[in-house]
Amino acid sequence: MKDIKQFIKDDRHPEALSAILRQARMTADYSSYQSLCRLRSKINADTTAPKAMDLKIALLGGYTTDFLEHPLQLELETLGLACRLFSSNYNSFVSEMLRNDSDTVAFGPDLAVFLINSFNIPEWPRPGDSLEAIQSIANKISHHWLGLCESLHRNTHCEIVMSNLHALPTRTTGNLDCRLNWEANSFIRRVNERLNHKAPAYVHILDIASLASFYGVLNWFDSRFWHHSRQPVSFDCLVPFIRNLAALIGALYGRTAKCLVLDLDHTLWGGVVGDDGLEGLKVGAGDAEGESFRFFQEYLLRLKQRGMLLAVCSKNEEENALAPFENLPGMVLKRSDFVSFKANWDPKPDNLRLIASELNIGLDALVFVDDNPAERELVRQVLPQVKVLELSDDPAEYPVLLDQCGWLEIASLTAEDARKTDQYHENRQREELRDQQADYDGYLQSLEQRASICSFNIRDLDRITQLVNKTNQFNLTTKRLNRSEIEVLMDNPDVFTASVRLLDRFGDNGLISVLAGRIEERTLHIDLWLMSCRVFQRGVERLLANYLFDSVTKWGLEEVHGIYMPTAKNRLVESLYSDLGFQLIDRDRQGVSQWSIKVQDYQPVPVTISVNEDCDHE
Amino acid sequence: MNEETVWNRLREIFRDVFGDEDIEIGPDTVADDILEWDSLTNIQLLVAIEKAFKGVKFNTGEVANLKNVGEMVRVVLDKSAD
Repeated sequence: MKDIKQFIKDDRHPEALSAILRQARMTADYSSYQSLCRLRSKINADTTAPKAMDLKIALLGGYTTDFLEHPLQLELETLGLACRLFSSNYNSFVSEMLRNDSDTVAFGPDLAVFLINSFNIPEWPRPGDSLEAIQSIANKISHHWLGLCESLHRNTHCEIVMSNLHALPTRTTGNLDCRLNWEANSFIRRVNERLNHKAPAYVHILDIASLASFYGVLNWFDSRFWHHSRQPVSFDCLVPFIRNLAALIGALYGRTAKCLVLDLDHTLWGGVVGDDGLEGLKVGAGDAEGESFRFFQEYLLRLKQRGMLLAVCSKNEEENALAPFENLPGMVLKRSDFVSFKANWDPKPDNLRLIASELNIGLDALVFVDDNPAERELVRQVLPQVKVLELSDDPAEYPVLLDQCGWLEIASLTAEDARKTDQYHENRQREELRDQQADYDGYLQSLEQRASICSFNIRDLDRITQLVNKTNQFNLTTKRLNRSEIEVLMDNPDVFTASVRLLDRFGDNGLISVLAGRIEERTLHIDLWLMSCRVFQRGVERLLANYLFDSVTKWGLEEVHGIYMPTAKNRLVESLYSDLGFQLIDRDRQGVSQWSIKVQDYQPVPVTISVNEDCDHE
Repeated sequence: MNEETVWNRLREIFRDVFGDEDIEIGPDTVADDILEWDSLTNIQLLVAIEKAFKGVKFNTGEVANLKNVGEMVRVVLDKSAD
């Protein structure tokens, strides 16, 4: 805190801000967090974190939400999201969400946070009520709340984060409680189940029921402060609550880490393989510490299976580092679970840079997990973009610390996610093939690429949304859209949309490119064009351009208009339009360039990808 | 625990919670005297006092009705286990 105050005193505001953001991530105590917020407010308004994206967030609560305003803003800023908040009056959510002239609607939020707890339940079952009667009350309540969401969404098109309900800390029928449908906690579980499963795609459930149970309801909820001022969460649990909420919002806007970079000695196993040898390492059953490392590995394996990439960054001889994966019983993770394996004596920041460039992802998509505080500090200083997990000295705590850090939060799961590690391995095979080929065209030929191109359809909507919100490099406009906004494009007959799926001899790359453009008069304006970094330099952009010009020729359009908006990350596509034969018509001071071409002037470019036309629209 | 120690620790807590190194408190200090003292910072104060003094827990009536810092100090002196 002292160094931050000094920075502010010396007018070194950017340094002060980055120190505040770094400190915020390491703070779990609400009072310290408030102090950081206070320091944040002393920093010039025009100093923001790099690449901050501006969001309008409306807060709606069946309880007090004052406590989360400043901390939520700061926590979102650590994720690269700047936001403006609007809070409606306490407990006015019904009229704010229903009326189309409410202050919340007038604010025009990108996102609304709708927070309630079981005290907002308007009607409870009576003792002895039939299951049918109880179900009907539960339906009525979830219908009421989701109906409010629907109304607000209709009026503003905003995404909505809505909490479910934590249990009460009492049971009037003791242990029988869990078997009686009319009992309060049974009923709360029933309402939650309705909310969790009936929520439409634009409502994202904040799972307070689970989070409160992790801490214990008696710790989570302090009834004194509830009765005093409708304070819904005890002070000890405020930071976890806010962190969890910010993580979910971050995930909706693509702020999800893509790769965990793990140290080995004392991180994946107990002991130092170079000193202690294989027989001296602790991992697996028979030893308490060894068992906790095994637990951690099992947790990491589950993360990998749902789509998180794993990499190793360890100061070791490579041979020593690999040996446990091959010959040590008790190990859960195998060498093939990792998409990159760096065991050498180079500084870790160098290795992290290599890993990011190998995987073709940003440094901000890496989470660095290392038991050594000196290595963590070095990475924090040299590569502030990398997310550094603060570990304790106890491996038994590693899974929870990683689980609660908020960087791994995902907004949705797509079929592409589960295949991610495989896809990187397939890429490795592609690279080997490329190295064998005398020239690049020969390599592309030998890949036997097949693509299918479809206009947007409901089946692909989650994946398209995911791609639109996290693609940084091959992205002409870096326009971020939520699922509902993309659905609007899909349904608009005056918008041309296309998504590309790519297969080759090594496997399915999944849906990897998206394009959308407005048709106005006789011109197509390309507003959105992006492609996953996994398939750069395979000819997909040319294939898509050919397809686009085929389509516009059929429809009798005369011109195609493109726009390039530069960001820190999309230099790659700076000259895409010029390469395709477009003429530059304007470039403004921010470097935004406008391009145009007559349809008849477009020269189709040969590509080595065959096209399947069958897009079975369901 | 003597009264002076309680006052000294309480002063530290007030300065910490309100982020103001110059805050002075006395028996008659009330919420209106400190700009940021609202229901949220009030809870923050009480939680910080409970953490600082072993055995001290404000009951719901005290949370709602303590009139000034003097009354806070009296509760701490009554309940503190140190």
